[in-house]
Amino acid sequence: MAEIGTVKAAIKPAIKPEAEDLKDPAYLKIRDVIYQISGIYQPEEKLYLLAQRCTRRMNALQIRTPSEYLARLTTRADRDAELRLLLNEITIGETYMFRSPPQLEALRTVILPQLIQTKRAMGFKRLHLWSAGCSTGEEPYTLAMFLLEEASKQLAGWTFDILATDLNDNSLAAAKAGIYGEYSLRSTTDALRRKYFKPVDDKHLQAGDQLKSIIRFDRVNLSDPAKMTFLKGIDLIFCCNVLIYFDLASKRKVVQHFHANLLPGGYLFLGHAESLYQIDSNFSLVHFPGAIGYWKAPVGYIPKDKP
Amino acid sequence: MPTVPAIVQPLTAMLRLPPEQVRMQKVIELVSYDSTIAAQCLRMANSPLFGRRNTETVRSAILALGLKRIQAILMGCCLNRIVPADKWAMEATTFWRHSLGCALVSSRMAKLIGYPDPEKAYLAGLLHDLGILVNTVACTEDFRRCFQQAQEQRIALHVLEHQQLGFTHCQSGRMLADAWQFSADIVSVVAYHHNVQSATVAPSLVALVSLSDLLCRLRDLGYGYYEAMGVDLAGEAAWSILVEHHPALAKMDLARVTLDIDGSMEEIISTVDAVFSPQA
Repeated sequence: MAEIGTVKAAIKPAIKPEAEDLKDPAYLKIRDVIYQISGIYQPEEKLYLLAQRCTRRMNALQIRTPSEYLARLTTRADRDAELRLLLNEITIGETYMFRSPPQLEALRTVILPQLIQTKRAMGFKRLHLWSAGCSTGEEPYTLAMFLLEEASKQLAGWTFDILATDLNDNSLAAAKAGIYGEYSLRSTTDALRRKYFKPVDDKHLQAGDQLKSIIRFDRVNLSDPAKMTFLKGIDLIFCCNVLIYFDLASKRKVVQHFHANLLPGGYLFLGHAESLYQIDSNFSLVHFPGAIGYWKAPVGYIPKDKP
Repeated sequence: MPTVPAIVQPLTAMLRLPPEQVRMQKVIELVSYDSTIAAQCLRMANSPLFGRRNTETVRSAILALGLKRIQAILMGCCLNRIVPADKWAMEATTFWRHSLGCALVSSRMAKLIGYPDPEKAYLAGLLHDLGILVNTVACTEDFRRCFQQAQEQRIALHVLEHQQLGFTHCQSGRMLADAWQFSADIVSVVAYHHNVQSATVAPSLVALVSLSDLLCRLRDLGYGYYEAMGVDLAGEAAWSILVEHHPALAKMDLARVTLDIDGSMEEIISTVDAVFSPQA
C-alpha cells in the first residue's frame, strides 16, 4: 500500500524544522487548512509539532519549502489525497490495551448494571459502543474483550457491537489487521491473550475472529456533520485524547453530536486529563472510583439538590 | 466509650488557643512525649509534601510543619492509642491512610476554593471518622461483620452500619467528640459528614470534608475496598452548600478541581505511606 511505503520513507533521517522555519507564515496557513477540514487546531506553542509532521511529508515528496508544500495541499488536483496523508501524520497516536482498568471496573460494577436495568425495562437487550478516534485499535479490542468476558455473566443473552472509527487511514488499516507486539499487549493477561489472539510470529499476536466479529471499523471525520448526524442509538462513547486536537468551536460541535448520538442514560468517556468545561453543559460529570464519565441524563431526570 | 488518653486534654485546650498564645516549649514537650509521635512528626516533615528536607530534630519538624499541623498529628496518634491492635475491623493503616488522605485533600481543597482556614480543614479531615474508632472498640464483632458485608456488597460503610447496627459512625463519633470536648465545628464534621444538609454549625467545613471524604473513597484512599458508585458531584448537597458559601465555585470546572487533586494524589499517597511506614 502506498501509505505504508510513505510512512516508512518518513522514518528515514529527516530534515528537522529549524526555529527559523517555524516563522514561515506558510505553516500558519497549513494550520488553517487543516482546521477547516478537520477541526484539529494547533496552537502557536504546538506549531513545531505541525512543522515536524509537514517535514516528514515534505521529505517523502522531496519538497524543500513549506510554501511549496502549502501549494501542494491547496492547488493541485490530488490535494485531498495529500491532505489525508498529512492528517495521518498528525493524528498518529500510541496506546496499549487495558490502559485504564478503573474505567473498565466502573463499567462492570456501575454502568453496565445501570444500562442493563434501564434497557431491559424498555425491552431491549442490545448494546452499542463507539470508540471514536480508535487509533490503531487497542481501545476497541479492549472493549471487545471486556464485553465478551461479561457475555457469560451480566450480559448473558445480550447482543452487542462496537463501532471503531478514526480519521487516519494507516491507523484504521492497522486496527483492522489487529496485529500487536508486546508494547500494546503489556497489560493484557496471558489468559486473555490465549483466548482471543493467535500468534503471528514469536513477537506478535493477532486478534482472533471472535474479537473482530463484534467490531466494525470505519473512517469517520468527527467534524463531518453528515456522518455524525447519521450515527444514532449509541450507549457508550469512548473518545480519548482526540478532542485535544480540536479548538473550542469544533469541540463544541463534536460534543453536541455525541450528545445526540447517545441514547438517554448513555455515557461519554474522554481521555484522562480532558474536561468538557465550557464545552457542553448538557452532560453531567459523574465520578467513578478512579475514572470520570459524562452522562446524558434521561428526559425528566431531576438532579438531586441542584441549586 | 473509650477513655480519654492523658495527653488529649491539654492538647484540645491548646488547639482552641490562638496560635500566638501556643508555647513552643509546651508543644515540643508533648511531641517528645513518646517516640512514635516524634517519629511521625519527623516523617511528615520529611515527606514529599513538605519538600523532603532533612529535618532531624523535633524543633525543626515543628517549625517546618507549623504548630497547627503538629497538634493534628498529636491528636491522630492519641486516637490511634484507643484501639487495641486485635480489635480492628479494617487494617489500622487503611483507616489512617483514609483519615490522613482526607486531611490532606481537605486542606488542599480549602486552599483551592479559598476556605479561610486550611489547617482547620486538615484537622477536620483527620478526625471526621472518629466514630469508626468508637465502633471498633465498643461493638467490635458487630462492626467487623458490618465492615465485611460492606466490603462484599461494595457499598458505603455508613449505609451498612445504619442497616445492621441502627446507628452510624457519625452518631457514635459525635458522642466521643462531645465527651472529649472537641470544638463545635469538629463535632459538626464528625456528626454530619454523611448528612451535610443537617449541619447547622460550620456547614461549609462539613461540606468540604464530606466532598474530600468522597473524593478519597473514589481515588483509592477509601476503606481498602472498591465501592461501586457513580457520583455526580455537582448534584451532591455538599457541593451546593460549598457554592453557597464560596460563590466563585459556581464558575469552577469541577473536573479540573478533581484533576488537580488527582494530580496531587500521588504526593498525598506517598506522604501517607511515609508517615505510616513500618515503625523503625
